[in-house]
Amino acid sequence: MGEVILTMKEIDKSFPGVHALDHVNLEVRKGEVHALMGENGAGKSTLMKVLTGIYSKDSGTITFEGKEVDFHSAKEAQDAGIVIVHQELNMLGHLTVAQNIFIGREFKKGLRIDDKKMNEEAKKLFDRMNIDIDPKETMSKLTVGKQQMCEIAKAISHDAKVIVFDEPSAALTETEIDELFKIIRDLREKDLGIVYISHRMDEIKVITDRVTVMRDGSYVGTLITKDSTKDDIINMMVGRVIYEDPKTESMVPEDAPVVLKVEHLKAGHMVNDVSFELHRGEILGFSGLMGAGRTETARAIFGADQIESGDIYVNGKKVTIKSPSDAVANGIGYLSEDRKRYGIVVDKTVAENTTMACMENFMNGIFIDKKKEREIAQKYVDDLATKTPSVDQLVVNLSGGNQQKVVIAKWLTRNSDILIFDEPTRGIDVGAKSEIYKLMNQLAADGKAIIMISSEMTEILRMSDRIVVMCEGKKTGEIGIAEATQENIMNMATREIE
Amino acid sequence: MEKIKQNPIVKKIGFNRVVLCCALILLYVVLCVTTGGKFFGMARIMSALNYAYFLGFLSLGVTFVIATGGIDFSIGPVMFCCALVSGYCFVAHGVPMGLAFVISILVGLAFGCFSGYLVAYWSVPSFITSMAGMNIAKGIASVFTKTQSVSWPQSSQDGGWFRVIVKAGAIPTGLILFLAAAVVCAIILNKTTAGRYILSLGSNKEAVRLSGVNTKKWEMLAFVICGVLCGISALFYVAAYTTVQPGYGDNYNNEAIAGCVMGGTSMAGGLASISGTVIGVFIIALLQEGILALNFDKNFQLIITGVIVIVAVYSDVVARRRKN
Repeated sequence: MGEVILTMKEIDKSFPGVHALDHVNLEVRKGEVHALMGENGAGKSTLMKVLTGIYSKDSGTITFEGKEVDFHSAKEAQDAGIVIVHQELNMLGHLTVAQNIFIGREFKKGLRIDDKKMNEEAKKLFDRMNIDIDPKETMSKLTVGKQQMCEIAKAISHDAKVIVFDEPSAALTETEIDELFKIIRDLREKDLGIVYISHRMDEIKVITDRVTVMRDGSYVGTLITKDSTKDDIINMMVGRVIYEDPKTESMVPEDAPVVLKVEHLKAGHMVNDVSFELHRGEILGFSGLMGAGRTETARAIFGADQIESGDIYVNGKKVTIKSPSDAVANGIGYLSEDRKRYGIVVDKTVAENTTMACMENFMNGIFIDKKKEREIAQKYVDDLATKTPSVDQLVVNLSGGNQQKVVIAKWLTRNSDILIFDEPTRGIDVGAKSEIYKLMNQLAADGKAIIMISSEMTEILRMSDRIVVMCEGKKTGEIGIAEATQENIMNMATREIE
Repeated sequence: MEKIKQNPIVKKIGFNRVVLCCALILLYVVLCVTTGGKFFGMARIMSALNYAYFLGFLSLGVTFVIATGGIDFSIGPVMFCCALVSGYCFVAHGVPMGLAFVISILVGLAFGCFSGYLVAYWSVPSFITSMAGMNIAKGIASVFTKTQSVSWPQSSQDGGWFRVIVKAGAIPTGLILFLAAAVVCAIILNKTTAGRYILSLGSNKEAVRLSGVNTKKWEMLAFVICGVLCGISALFYVAAYTTVQPGYGDNYNNEAIAGCVMGGTSMAGGLASISGTVIGVFIIALLQEGILALNFDKNFQLIITGVIVIVAVYSDVVARRRKN
């Protein structure tokens, strides 16, 4: 670690009704990867927005390269050398890689854009980073991992001295994360200061030098990573120990009936001849790399996308599923990885979202029985311990974990027996995560059958009774939890890739 | 300001609607003053109300479509088409007045089904179905009437009884019927499955579909309701103004949509207020009457509604941005 490049001192920021940052400190040195941790809502993003001039601070000082600075826009911060790589990628899918990297500052030849020069410059950049991406490729054709590399390349091309990574690994697979870490280490070698925001404890241990922890908008403390344990950090974040050990054996009885059987399912080029069985009371993990076709398989079973061929049996009976309403009628519920887009209606209340999948049970003649609706919603708010002031609260005002609970309540209200959880804890903080896990175990114990798609290996090993592994649209393996290890799953997940 | 917003009565009615009501009253007072008291009195109010009825039905209809996140600016020409086709049937083919009513509503229904089906089942953007629907409505009306204007009967003439839907003696039946229709619409929108799903799919269609709801059916229904209300609107138009001419009706689109968005219905879908629409329509109707009373050029009305639409939509955009 070198000298201090960035200091944020006693930063204070209030919004109407919320004290978002309460005298927070952060110090980043050259050649350091500094983790910024805290539960959702702890104020990490707000702090970074203050740093990059998106929000103005109420008080406190920011010192960058020895001078006090006060940026008024992301552009100013960028020009000074502080760049954020956002969690959601800000790329234009129809443009090429090079065009994306140099957007807003294109090389010109007269009035014409000089694509050739941009491609060359991008190539140089990638060479420097030791990654192999064709600058002329269309952005949308790259994997999420590669797109992220481009985002980083863009940051570097701004001559960044401090790069902030905002949950860069959320959408990446294990191999892509390894590649990302290689790049980050490389940047560290080059004496850049790096702020790394993540929820994943394992990564923090692997990649960072120091950890600053925030809780409820306040600064809790800074640790040296190698001198502290996972539990130390978690305790600072939430003030309680929550990590549990992986599952060692299946909880499903030998004679549990098959509730869902899928045979030779084919849908688009992402789902190719997939067959599996799901038992009552089972949590069936779906593991694989990004783009392995797991979400597509789930969507096909749920009728969200068209099935080309293959059979689906529910409780031994063959069923035809052409639309989500067919699937729902057969007792299947789907909890999407993208709650905001596919799970909840944000402008509606908790109660209204809860009954969304089975309005017909809450009717009094042609009128909606709002009393009954609110009662069931209240019941699930209590059962699932959803944090909301009331069932009349708009869902948009809830945190990610609580929104997820509302979606679960929706399917429980519908009395669905087969639940497909697609990345159930993506973007959910550590505390809420363990609550969701407890809930899923409870549901399985109550006789629901659960398919859990997850890109987090720890999640797969902790929750599943059995694991199906997919690669390139095909099922490449199936393994009981007792035999499963990180290595043999990874092995199966890469089987189809030369 | 915050204090007023937190007032329980204001909260119950909705801050937006309180502001609108104040605007309505203020507008009336301003008009009374600027016209030197000429505006004061029942005659002007009745005249403004005549305008409000037919426009109100259009506005109620389009509220449902906008609630789904769609748009329909064929409503004016469709309304004229309904009035022309049914009126022509009465005048030229001698169908009974009662049947003419039914025909008008059926024509509106047909247009609603047409655009609703295209939007919901074929995923044609409602912007396009609006444009096409507008031309088709004008075309059909012209062909059907051989490009002749149609005059519905005066009160004294055969079949003239139908004018009681607007005014029966001293009773403003039009006002009663319009408000009754608004109440029915409000119930549909807020208390029934149809309304719940229409609003929800306006907010997040894919999430509603993935809840196992037949979103296509409900989206189409919004257009069908709109079409039927166009058919009813046509009757109130002719009951007030007697004569309809093929090839017109466009300017009522903007006025109806202005009334709707002014009332707090969001162009982005998912948020709609029937009571807001009603007040919005009254404001538009009063404005147009005021412009007549002030002897301004009728075209000022166009400019003002254009500005109103932009201001209303922009304030909705700002409100949404603040919420996020």
